[in-house]
Amino acid sequence: MRVRRCVRITALLAIIPVVLSMAGCWSRKEIEDIGFVLSIGVDHGAKEDEIMITAHIAKPFAISAGLSGAVDEKPFWQVSSTGRTVFEAWRNLRQQSPRRPLLHHSRFIVFGEEFARDGIHEAMDFFFKESEVRETNVVVVAKGVKASEILWNEFELERMPAEGALGIMKVAAQELSTTVMITLNEFLQMLEAEGHEAVASRAELVRRPPSEDPRGQLKRETISISGRETGAAAFKGDKLVGWLDKTQTRGLQWVKGKVRSGIIVIEQPEEENKLASIELVRADSTVTPGISDGRPSVLIKVRAIGNLGEVQEDFDPMKSQEAWLSMERRMAEVIRHEIEAALNIAKYEFNSDIFGFGAEIQRKYPKEWTKLKDKWDEEFPKLDVEIEVETSLRRSGLTRRSVQTVRKEEG
Amino acid sequence: MTVLEGGKISGRQFMSVLVVLRIVPLTLVFSLINSIAHVQDTWITVIIGTVIAIPIAVLITKLSLRFPGKTIIEYSQSLLGPVMGKLLGLLILWCFLCTSIDITRGLGEAYVIAIMPETPILVFMSMLIFISCYAARSGLEVICRLGEDVFYIVVFVLLLTYVLPYTAMRFENLRPILAWGASNLVPPVIANLGYYSQFLIIGMLVPYLNKPEDATRYAVYAVLISGALMVLAAVALVAVFGTTASSWTLPLFSLARMISLGDFFERIEAGVMAAWTVSTGIKLALFLWAASVAVAQLFNLKAFRHLLYPLGTITVAASLFFFESMVELEDYLAKAGAMVSILVAGVTLLLLYAALGIRMAIHRRKGGAG
Repeated sequence: MRVRRCVRITALLAIIPVVLSMAGCWSRKEIEDIGFVLSIGVDHGAKEDEIMITAHIAKPFAISAGLSGAVDEKPFWQVSSTGRTVFEAWRNLRQQSPRRPLLHHSRFIVFGEEFARDGIHEAMDFFFKESEVRETNVVVVAKGVKASEILWNEFELERMPAEGALGIMKVAAQELSTTVMITLNEFLQMLEAEGHEAVASRAELVRRPPSEDPRGQLKRETISISGRETGAAAFKGDKLVGWLDKTQTRGLQWVKGKVRSGIIVIEQPEEENKLASIELVRADSTVTPGISDGRPSVLIKVRAIGNLGEVQEDFDPMKSQEAWLSMERRMAEVIRHEIEAALNIAKYEFNSDIFGFGAEIQRKYPKEWTKLKDKWDEEFPKLDVEIEVETSLRRSGLTRRSVQTVRKEEG
Repeated sequence: MTVLEGGKISGRQFMSVLVVLRIVPLTLVFSLINSIAHVQDTWITVIIGTVIAIPIAVLITKLSLRFPGKTIIEYSQSLLGPVMGKLLGLLILWCFLCTSIDITRGLGEAYVIAIMPETPILVFMSMLIFISCYAARSGLEVICRLGEDVFYIVVFVLLLTYVLPYTAMRFENLRPILAWGASNLVPPVIANLGYYSQFLIIGMLVPYLNKPEDATRYAVYAVLISGALMVLAAVALVAVFGTTASSWTLPLFSLARMISLGDFFERIEAGVMAAWTVSTGIKLALFLWAASVAVAQLFNLKAFRHLLYPLGTITVAASLFFFESMVELEDYLAKAGAMVSILVAGVTLLLLYAALGIRMAIHRRKGGAG
């Protein structure tokens, strides 16, 4: 008995150093040793064939200090490094960063315009292979500037630029539908798909005039460089070919069935030069491809439901059923114009099938597509596209008729 | 011969461990989707594979039911005679060990690739093996009771993983259907049947069922449930990732990473990984248990428990040396490994049923003469 107990105690004592030495794992990352990257920018480096990575890293101490009181310190740090590949450039960042930059929490992958025009293919793989990068990152192209410059933009109401940009983008995608919000996952699918060219979000730099407020210069209370997240960047293959403005972007979103909400301004029926606003409630779309005599065609059906949000001149829907219907027709006309704007620029300017019509044809007519896909570049601009828009106005807010004021005739 | 294993398991536990052992590779590497050229058809191939797997499972179960209280190792000796029977037993044993080796390496690779890239793979594999051997030492009853709980956890987690990335799903990705002919469907069906061939382990489990008459029913249920889980996996993966679905090393892990609900319910893949780890542990415990019982029965040993740690050690070492890289492992699982499993299961069933038929014919003639 005693011998066994001795053995047990010895074994127990032998385990203690083992346990002590295993007080953590190889891959542990202490919060004090890491820097959270919020956005990553990709540009050409200064030298030829070099890639420059710009990381936007949060300063945890500055954020926490900012909560307790005023602090003059920026809550973020921006740093760039170069390398021949994205991964090398990314690793070279460690020469400059005392903390280990971590990509788990990044929100954006930003490409500079110049880089995007030359093709982004070589930069993409890293973001999928690296387990730190989430596929829910939003892909953005900076218009007119380098990615490293666009990352400087700041926003009122948010201390962290990435959070500010994300907030704007989410709101614009949900309530205006004038921007696209493309995740890394969707972006890769569009890059790899046949008959579907990629789009990404567009970001612009807005320079504000320097503030006259003396306090602003001391305490940095105003922002000199801000950002605007509207529109979309259109790709062909892996190369950026152009930009869609707000109208064209909403046209694209109509076709894709991604319009969530937005305001449609129409001319008021029965009144000259007066406008009415319609708030979109929901919308959906179907794209039906067809092939007759080997010639492909596409039928786009959009259904939109809206509420009458405001009218500028007297209007009472109870009085005139016709005016109500006319508003619905005008709404459909606006939507049709937006879709046509997007179609025209995609067809004749970019020759890039950002709507995925080719992919739709492949889904419905896989055999015919094998013949079409090699000459899709010539076929796409000639494609017959028919647009059917069905709209309905449902409600007119809390009042039935609009505000009526008594006005004296002038003159 | 003394009783090696005294445990009794219920039909539902039997079904649970069978489902867990089929969906363990799915939770880590999804060979079916990796081996198909056009991912849109994956769910169809899963259905085809599952339908073919039902008769296989029924055949294995029915055979075992003819020899109540005997494992496949024992009755193959009484059917084929000591020499042939022992050879076949060795083949089955080797198959059990191969499966253990594959999943050990698979889980280790998953951890290293996805979560802790700097940690040596040996750490994960030896920890897993240690825990599984410890569980297997307690016997079949403990493994299967644990297996039933793990089954519920894994099914719950899998369903969550399928449903929650709904914001990223686009079901038009599933079209076109069957546009590439039958040659597109063959490799994933083979990979699927390769995994279903692991149901050979039914031959080790049936003798310990408390109601053996339910065995066939629950084996079919197991095939159907695991098939349904895989069909849903294929649909969810293609809906979320489109044609890029076949490029992921760990498809369901990447799927779990897509979950993002209302800005706060996200980054849950570590929890998902934990659920898959316990299911791999159950499968490993089951196969190590089966392997050590098989060794004990082949060599007429009186106990199997002290074989577990040695077998576990062999498994860890072999899983380190069998595969040079993850690429090799995936290639093996989808091609050679599947073919070998099908071959072993096929040869086993063919030999045993042939011997059974001959015996019955002789018996009948004798009966007729007498």
